[in-house]
Amino acid sequence: MDLLLEIIITFIAILGFGIILSVPRRVLFIGAGIGSWTWLALQTGLHLGINDVVSTVIASFTAATIAHYLAKKIHIPVTTLSIPGILPLVPGSRAYFTMLSFVEGEYLDGLEFGVETMLQAGGIAAGLVLALSLFSFGKGIGNRYETGS
Amino acid sequence: MGAKADKVMDVCLQAGEIMLTYGAETYRVEETIERMARAAGFTNVHCFSTTTGIFLSFEESKGHGDLMQMVRVDDRMQDLNKVAEVNQISREFTSGILTVQEAERRLDEISAAKIQYPIWLIHLAAGAAGGGFSYLFGGGLYDFIPAFFAAMISSFTLVKIEGYLRVRFASELAAAFFGSSAAIAFVMLGFGASIDQIIIGSLMPLVPGVPLTNAVRDLLSGDLLAGISRGVEALLTSLSIASGVALAVSIFL
Repeated sequence: MDLLLEIIITFIAILGFGIILSVPRRVLFIGAGIGSWTWLALQTGLHLGINDVVSTVIASFTAATIAHYLAKKIHIPVTTLSIPGILPLVPGSRAYFTMLSFVEGEYLDGLEFGVETMLQAGGIAAGLVLALSLFSFGKGIGNRYETGS
Repeated sequence: MGAKADKVMDVCLQAGEIMLTYGAETYRVEETIERMARAAGFTNVHCFSTTTGIFLSFEESKGHGDLMQMVRVDDRMQDLNKVAEVNQISREFTSGILTVQEAERRLDEISAAKIQYPIWLIHLAAGAAGGGFSYLFGGGLYDFIPAFFAAMISSFTLVKIEGYLRVRFASELAAAFFGSSAAIAFVMLGFGASIDQIIIGSLMPLVPGVPLTNAVRDLLSGDLLAGISRGVEALLTSLSIASGVALAVSIFL
C-alpha cells in the first residue's frame, strides 16, 4: 500500500520534472511512467536485500533500456525519456547530508556520505552505460573506437 | 562558393546551434549536422563540436570548393522539446521531404519559439517535483505542502534572478539559499516536521539532470573534451547549490 502511494507520488514528481525540462508533450507521461518503474525496481531490489548501489544499477539499467527501446520506436531523442527515467535515483538526500555534515564540522560523517553519494551517482552512470552498450552492439558507439578490422 | 553551399552551411549550423544550446548531447549534434550536409550532396563532411562551439567543414564536390565555418554557443539552457523538434526536421530533411528553404523557415520558427509550457505551470511543476521528492526521501505526507511551496519559491527565485543577473551560478546559489530559507521558515512556523527532507525537496528542481546524463553519454562515445566540460558544469551547479544551502543552514539553524 505504501509502495503504491510512493509510485503515484513518483509519477507526479517526475511529471513535474518533465515540465521543468520541457519534455515534448507526447512523451511527458511515458517519461513519468518510466520514472515510476525505476522507483518500483529500486524498492524491489532493496526489499530483496540487494545492496543499494547494486539496486541503483539495476533500476537505472532497466529504465535506460526501456527508454532506448521506446525512443527508437517513436523516433525521439533518447534523453527525453532517459532523464525522467533516472531522476528518482538521484542521490539528493545523501548529497544534502554530505553538505550538512561538513557545515557542522563532522568531517568523517561528511566523507562517508560523500563516498555514498559518489557511488550512487556512479551506479546511475553504470546503468546508463550498460543500456547504451546493449543498444549499440555491432554498430559501435559513434564508430570512434575502431578495432582495426 | 555556390549559393546552395552557403545556404546549407547556415541551415546545418543553425540546427546544431539550437540543439547544443537547449541540451542535446555532443554526438547528436555532430551526427545530425553531418547527415544533413551529406543529404544535401556535399562530400568530405566533418563536424567537430564541444560544449561551447561547433565547427563544420565540407567540400562542394570532390576536391573543389572547400568550406569551413564555426559558431560559438554561449547560452546553455534546458528545453528538450526544441531538441526533439530539430531532430525531427533533420530526419525529414535527410529523407528529402523538406527543401533547404523549408528547413530554414522551420528552424527560425523553433529558435524564436517560447518554451512550450507557460511559466506558472513550470513553477507549479517545480513545486510538485519538490514536494514529491521530499516524501520519497523519507518525509511525512504532511511535509508535501511546505516542500511544495519551498520548491516553488526556489524555482521562482531562479527564474527572476537569472533574468536580472544573467550569471548562472550566482542565480542557482541564490535560488538554493531562498528555497532552503523558506523551508526552514515553514518548519519554524510549525508547517511540516522533517526539516531535512523539506530542504532537500526545495532543492530538487535545481538538480542538473541534463548535463549529468549528457556528460556520461559524451564520455562514453569518445567525446572526452565535451564530456569532461559537461561534467564540470554539473559539478559547478551542484557546488553552487550546496553553498546556497550551507549559507542558509548556517545562518538560520
